[in-house]
Amino acid sequence: MTETKLTARNVDVYYGPKKAIDNVSIDIDNGIVTAFIGPSGCGKSTFLRSLNRMNDTIADARVTGEILLDGEDIYAASMDPVALRARVGMVFQKPNPFPKSIYENVAYGPRIHGLAASKADMDAIVESALTKAGLWEEVKDRLSDAGTALSGGQQQRLCIARAIAVSPEVILMDEPCSALDPIATAKIEELIDELKENYAIVIVTHSMQQAARVSQRTAFFHLGNLVEYGETSEIFTNPREVKTKDYITGRYG
Amino acid sequence: MTNPHWQSDAAAKRISRRNAAERRFKLLGLGAIVLSLSFLALLLFIMLKNGLGGLDWSFLSGTDSTDPDTAGVWGATKGSLLTMFVTLLLSFPMGVLAAIYLEEFAPKNRWIDLVEVSINNLAAVPSIIFGLLGLAVFINTLDMPRSSPLVGGLTLALMTMPVIVISGRNAIKAVPPSIRDAALAVGASKVQTVFHHVLPLALPGILTGTIIGMARALGETAPLLMIGMRAFVVTPPGGVTDPSSVLPMQIFLWSDEIDTGFVQNTSAAIIVLLVFLLAMNGLAIYLRNKFEVRW
Ligand SMILES: Nc1ncnc2c1ncn2[C@@H]1O[C@H](COP(=O)(O)OP(=O)(O)OP(=O)(O)O)[C@@H](O)[C@H]1O
Ligand SMILES: [Mg+2]
Repeated sequence: MTETKLTARNVDVYYGPKKAIDNVSIDIDNGIVTAFIGPSGCGKSTFLRSLNRMNDTIADARVTGEILLDGEDIYAASMDPVALRARVGMVFQKPNPFPKSIYENVAYGPRIHGLAASKADMDAIVESALTKAGLWEEVKDRLSDAGTALSGGQQQRLCIARAIAVSPEVILMDEPCSALDPIATAKIEELIDELKENYAIVIVTHSMQQAARVSQRTAFFHLGNLVEYGETSEIFTNPREVKTKDYITGRYG
Repeated sequence: MTNPHWQSDAAAKRISRRNAAERRFKLLGLGAIVLSLSFLALLLFIMLKNGLGGLDWSFLSGTDSTDPDTAGVWGATKGSLLTMFVTLLLSFPMGVLAAIYLEEFAPKNRWIDLVEVSINNLAAVPSIIFGLLGLAVFINTLDMPRSSPLVGGLTLALMTMPVIVISGRNAIKAVPPSIRDAALAVGASKVQTVFHHVLPLALPGILTGTIIGMARALGETAPLLMIGMRAFVVTPPGGVTDPSSVLPMQIFLWSDEIDTGFVQNTSAAIIVLLVFLLAMNGLAIYLRNKFEVRW
């Protein structure tokens, strides 16, 4: 049984005068993984970043329409973007750990939000986040080492741990595996599969196989439009739109 | 099989020409370095030869005097220290805050462009103009004590601040945007992002720029002439409001004396100033290495 977590209604996103997302409406559910696929430059990252208002940091980006988190308009004046981003976490394409210790990387979010009352609390949060991210066993003896000294795949799992340490409700991932080898990718996919029980997860990917493996719903974007959205199995075996079919069969992209 | 192209005469000639060009360039670069270093060596040699004999405890602890044998450099050194203190206290926080605001918070519009151009120009304004400004504003309008390290420091702070702003902005710009994204995405506010992540990473660059600006201020004479820091002062300043001189000014004044006894004093004071500068540059390198974060 799933429930809607995020709802977009007639969302347009502009960069200056240029429209990058055109009238997109979509419901994203709790407890499943939703994949965004589509050719390069079609607006996947743009749309993803509008879901936690990371677009606010781009001077000329503008979002119109409505995006609701649990029915609450995230662009309403009453919504604090800082609080929103604690609820809607994000993992980026290129692993970007802070140049600080592994421990500090994970503890930073909980600390600024006052989630831990004591050092012991914080230790517990860090251990639990690293465990969920499947990294605990590999780093438990060197928590004070620099996060940037880890391998690429480990860094990305550290970034996932950092995102889940603040107990978000939604996790947005923008091509989280594009810089990783197949083994690290498999680890992260496994991780996403486990995490989906407790979060709504959105993943942008260029790999059809990955979308098919990890997601339950798939949204296909093309030139700023949401062309097709449905069950992943449906999209990949029996797409309704010709464009979708062409894209997933590799006819263009 | 090797492509026959690489075995042809033309190719061989081209490669040898390229190697010759490379050798010529290296030689030229070496020449440039040797030339500039030899001037520096010459300067050091002359200063040490003329000044080393005069560099004793009574010179280091004495103050200015009409008698070259009893004249010392402590009064001017203390004046320089107090002046630098005032300069740093004012220009560092102001420069860093301005740099942070311009890089991280300022809206991108024509006004900010104008501010940017003004600051860049300010850094290029001849220092004597700052002296006139200091005279007009701090002494004539605000009635601050003439010849004091306070006014000297304020005047030099005006000069140093743009240097700190420019180097600070470059250092902040060099922090990868992905670090800001990372902090914002866990729900850090803009100010938290800047002060917890961006500033610590930019600090080595900011400090280096600050020290370079301070070193320039330390050697500055012209603006201090305008605000009366060329007075003949026999007691070292007790505080920032007492009349005082500074090291480069002392060098200038002594080099102007007719009494040949002051030649040695001039050179000795130059040595003191150079040691001062070297210490500051050493500090810059030390701080840069200490705060440098590798990733
Ligand atoms: N900061 C920006 N300023 C202006 N235009 C932008 C900006 N970021 C993206 N765009 C434009 O918006 C459109 C969508 O870009 P976006 O990055 O969302 O695509 P994408 O689907 O994520 O592509 P990719 O798969 O290559 O990551 C592109 O045409 C791009 O040029
Ligand atoms: Mg993208």
